[in-house]
Amino acid sequence: MTREEFTIEGALGTPLFLPWVERHAARLGLGMRLRDCTPGRLAVEFEGAPALLDAMEMGCLLGPIDAWVESIVRKRISVT
Amino acid sequence: MSETGAMRDHWYPVGMTKQLTEAGRDTLLMGEPIRVFRDGGQPQVSDGAGRALPVIDRFGHVWTSLGTPAKDLFTIPEADQPGRRLVDVGVCRVRCSPLRAVENFLDIAHFPFVHTDILGSEPHTEVERYEVEIRDDVDEVWATKVKFFQPQAAKSAEGGITTDYMYRVCAPTCSVLYKTCPPKPGEWDVIALFVQPLTETLCDVWPWMALYDDDAEMTDLIHFQQMIFVQDRSVLENQLPALLPLDPGMEIPTRADMTSIAYRRWLKRHGFTYGAQLVAA
Amino acid sequence: MPTDWTPAALSDDIPAASAAPGQLGPHDLAIWRSASGRIAAWADRCPHRGMRLSHGYVRGERLSCIYHGWGYGEGGQCVRIPAHPELTPPEAIKVPVFRAVEASGVIWVAVEAPEAPPPEFPGFEAFRSLQVKAAPEALAGALGGSGLVVEAALGGATVVALIQPLRDGAVGLHLLAPEALGAAELDALSVAAEALRRRVEEGVTA
Repeated sequence: MTREEFTIEGALGTPLFLPWVERHAARLGLGMRLRDCTPGRLAVEFEGAPALLDAMEMGCLLGPIDAWVESIVRKRISVT
Repeated sequence: MSETGAMRDHWYPVGMTKQLTEAGRDTLLMGEPIRVFRDGGQPQVSDGAGRALPVIDRFGHVWTSLGTPAKDLFTIPEADQPGRRLVDVGVCRVRCSPLRAVENFLDIAHFPFVHTDILGSEPHTEVERYEVEIRDDVDEVWATKVKFFQPQAAKSAEGGITTDYMYRVCAPTCSVLYKTCPPKPGEWDVIALFVQPLTETLCDVWPWMALYDDDAEMTDLIHFQQMIFVQDRSVLENQLPALLPLDPGMEIPTRADMTSIAYRRWLKRHGFTYGAQLVAA
Repeated sequence: MPTDWTPAALSDDIPAASAAPGQLGPHDLAIWRSASGRIAAWADRCPHRGMRLSHGYVRGERLSCIYHGWGYGEGGQCVRIPAHPELTPPEAIKVPVFRAVEASGVIWVAVEAPEAPPPEFPGFEAFRSLQVKAAPEALAGALGGSGLVVEAALGGATVVALIQPLRDGAVGLHLLAPEALGAAELDALSVAAEALRRRVEEGVTA
């Protein structure tokens, strides 16, 4: 299991963005912990297999239609 | 008319130049009837009201637009290299979103399952990490350093090889791929997919190639590519929903789908939504 | 809300290690049989990129998507993603499953398990399925009955007709014939069933 912090930046100014991320993480079976949430920035910790963290990045890069994700920066926290 | 959105002002293939007659061919572009014909030797396109539409004759195909294109049709510089054979493959009609046809062309992970023992084979199914970027200077999606093991990469290939690929999306419904050229190491074979959006869920696909292959018969080259595309068609006509989702909330894209995601991001950014579904369902 | 069993296909039409499309109300189904003979009815859509699973292939006890080879085992659980062979797919990646059982040579499906098992028809065996462009009532009426299970005289035999409402103005007609009917009698039944279909469909357009 790998834990990473995702910093998602862009025009996230929709109340639907965070629930969308939560739902997508659940569909991938990832553990999730919210660190910070503003209209332009979301910092979230995810835990799961590396390929699933990659998949989470893929999903979030597209995201819901009314959000635009400009970038996702991933930082490894731990590997267990 | 409004649903054609930002895609209206772009170029689309509407026929093969060689097949053009004076009587012409009636077809559709984004739901609107058009006629493609030859007049005084020159390709012409008119819309349903008889109004002349802009025309470009390039890569063996006639291109037009319902709107006002801000820029010239993309170029494929490799096509002008001496010694290449330019192959007009012909047309393949597919009951799918034109955007789905392009997305499938960008995908390598399906090779072992859809093009079994030709472009891929089990157990060689792993998709290694590759790179994807949107090149702002040309406003194109590029995927590079793509590698895949192929039992018969091309008509000219004998035995399995690891093939290198590069992909390029250069217009909303056009993509060009570059792949290892077995007879000429160091050069790339060029295969393009030009998609004519007839409606949001119906398209004519015009593959086109610029190959270094001195030996194969032209008809064999054409048949090889047509066979590949017929295999793709069985998938394309059976994906749900019919439109290409720009919200992946009902899908599970993985790292192997990175080019697909970049293409959809590019469509979303530009409002290229003819043939797209905006909300996951 | 308890649901009832719906006849979706005949057992013989889905042999071991094969898959076929089916319907259950608004749901598209992939009905498939494993190599060992187990029947299952799943949502007809791969969660990866939406390809119909009824076009997939069966190896052993798994159904795999024809597009990228994602493999699914018992309960719709994803067990293999070939592009990422090192990954053990998480439990969360699953195809929605429906209930499916076999009785009297018929595959019955339901959203939730109904309280009672599907009906049995002693003395009858599954014969043939047809699709008819008609309303369920019109077909039942043409068979001289009403409802979705009709005992009728057809082609000189007494048959059980199971009527499955489908979308787009069609119905599935699953016919059960008396056991030990001879080949000539079965041929006559087949001809009569096709004549019935034509008659009912012409009634629709008339």
